[in-house]
Amino acid sequence: MSGMYDLAIAGAGLSALSAIAAGLGRRRTIMFDYQDEPGGFLKHALPAPGFETAWELIRSTRIPQGLTACYGATVVGLLPAFEGGEPHTLVVRQKQGTSQVQAKRVLIACGGLEIPREHAQIPGSRPAGVMTPIMAHQLLAQGYLPGKRAIVYGDAHYSRVTAQRLADAGVAVSLISASEAQLVAIEGSPRLQRVTFRRAGETSSMEADLLVYSVGMMANTHWLKGSGISTAEDGAVQVDAGYETNVPGIYAVGTVIAPSLDHVDSLAMGKEVASLLGGTP
Amino acid sequence: MVKDIQHVDVLIIGGGVVGSAILREVARYSARVVLLERNPDVCEGTSKSNSAIVHTGFDAPPGTLEARLLAGARELWPQVIEHLHIPYLQTGALLIATSDEELATLQNEITPKAERNGVTLSPLTRDEILENAPYINPAIKGGALVEGEGIIDPFWTTRAYCENAVLNGAQVFTGVTVTGMSVEENCISVHTNDGLTFAASLVVNAAGLWSDEVARLAGDHSFALTPRKGQFILIEEDHGVSHIILPIPNRISKGILVTPIIFGGVMLGPTAEDVQDKSDLATTAAGLQQIRQGIARLAPAMAGAASARQFAGLRAVSSTGDYIIRFSTASERLLHVAGIRSTGLSASPAIGRYVADLARDQLGLALRANFIEELPEYLSETHPNEGDVICLCRSITRGEILAALRSPLPPETLDGLKRRTGAMLGDCQGNICMPRLMQLFQQQRGSDLLALNKNYDGSSPVVARVPGREGV
Repeated sequence: MSGMYDLAIAGAGLSALSAIAAGLGRRRTIMFDYQDEPGGFLKHALPAPGFETAWELIRSTRIPQGLTACYGATVVGLLPAFEGGEPHTLVVRQKQGTSQVQAKRVLIACGGLEIPREHAQIPGSRPAGVMTPIMAHQLLAQGYLPGKRAIVYGDAHYSRVTAQRLADAGVAVSLISASEAQLVAIEGSPRLQRVTFRRAGETSSMEADLLVYSVGMMANTHWLKGSGISTAEDGAVQVDAGYETNVPGIYAVGTVIAPSLDHVDSLAMGKEVASLLGGTP
Repeated sequence: MVKDIQHVDVLIIGGGVVGSAILREVARYSARVVLLERNPDVCEGTSKSNSAIVHTGFDAPPGTLEARLLAGARELWPQVIEHLHIPYLQTGALLIATSDEELATLQNEITPKAERNGVTLSPLTRDEILENAPYINPAIKGGALVEGEGIIDPFWTTRAYCENAVLNGAQVFTGVTVTGMSVEENCISVHTNDGLTFAASLVVNAAGLWSDEVARLAGDHSFALTPRKGQFILIEEDHGVSHIILPIPNRISKGILVTPIIFGGVMLGPTAEDVQDKSDLATTAAGLQQIRQGIARLAPAMAGAASARQFAGLRAVSSTGDYIIRFSTASERLLHVAGIRSTGLSASPAIGRYVADLARDQLGLALRANFIEELPEYLSETHPNEGDVICLCRSITRGEILAALRSPLPPETLDGLKRRTGAMLGDCQGNICMPRLMQLFQQQRGSDLLALNKNYDGSSPVVARVPGREGV
């Protein structure tokens, strides 16, 4: 793993896979991902209707010869080169320990984190049974139900897919639109008992032992603190039209630059970055 | 069913920071020492949800036991921090006067009171404050620096007190509630919810907010406690805050402050709301609003900052106004350590010493020869091939998680693991890594996931097996 690479990719989610499928990373490239497999966090919800392209990409993308893919390997720090022409350094943690990898160019494709309930300052208690979709999907995959009477709160197609998954496992699910109903209270201790919404001035409560809070994503950029990479107010990495950050030779693509966009946009951005960074379009 | 009775010299009820500090100090003596905590982990009540400040006690009412023990603790903290490897930073505090009236209160009342408590306040002009802390409201009138104030990890402190005591032979039982006490001739019999009975030569009542109810179990109605709620807002960005920022205290509370957090970020709060219910930990829209308004006077930039988390804590207000550290009206074998208000963390080393001295005199205890003063750094003892990241947001490795699960006082809950390692405290609030942490718990401790709680009984993140996958 040590040595010098032409390109290091942080993250093996949809935007990275899309770029690889479009020809990026054929020589001296190394890719890291926190998870044990490629596909990003969305993979836990797949296969699902409406996500056929993403699922096909995850299933069919072959890692080319010149690309070393490291899973269970998390980039925890990025040290940009002091001067042009010098390589950038990534700090990586994996089973064997912490190591450093150098690369001439870096592509930040580490995606996003689901916005948790805590960010919205919803009044009430802090019971068990309040989570975002990623946790619900993982618990289901482990063979456990996160609740028996669920409210899925969100508007995205992903929210609907999450609701369907829970229903398929035998959970009674209500899907509540976040654009129509404001979440005003979460009650229960130690487990969730009731959720209160306000719609057009009217307040109403629903009994539930599971609230899946699915209002969107935020950029996964806490690990870039202190790196000198410019981020916007909401944490998203700022890039120019060529996906380059404020540091020459460091690029970013996907949810990490635009957390409010959809997975389809990540696929499109991945292709575009491949052509810009020297893949075959 | 009658089970064996365990005979002990000192039994401490309550595993908050106060009970745990007492446990460590009593463990210095050759004695059988036991601590009972009704929650699944230590440091669950008042000790958990507070400003995490080691306070000098500059504004304590002079001459009270509280003032005396806070002064004593100032001498003891450096050793405690060193021996228990507690994350601590002496940030100093800036007292901010936002009006001429407050400035007069600072100069004429607070500064002389601090002198009587042995703490020197250094006056600062408005410009000096703004130079040190450019985020402060430029409309302020002046203030003072309290050099000795610092920030600490309350959970680490409590856990380390207990682990150090366990290392020296003490026993800690979590998840055990005291249900009855009977005063006998030579001991007090203490009965618990899971059928254990202890015969203790001395019982120390350090049950925090519930210590009045514990007293009543022994027929002692001599004091009452009421809960005061404090809500907090947590902000991940530190906004350059390097000092504790204190408003001029009023009669009810120290007011709403800005406190840097030892692991990063800033805490705003607390409110001071007298409530009825000793388990009411809900945050309210009005409370959060009050915090933001209070902060706007001190540091307007922070008043609107995005918050990663909000929480509430309850502290005990006693009917006497001072600490209640005395023997029970029902028995000389029951010692109350109650009404510790909001200063328990700050005074804990001295409270521990003071109570251990009382126990020594009462029971004629002798120091043990081989007391181990220093706590080994268990939490950094990782093994090969455990270097991969489990908590993505905080870059916390499998090794760090497993070290906590292997420690002498291992967590019984997911919150216990969170507080030992910092996992699940980042941006995603554990939504990504909690399922992995549950698997590690299961592997390491043989936990049944349906019984593995977030904190209290019935708070497991999972409620049943997926139908058809029961045997998986």
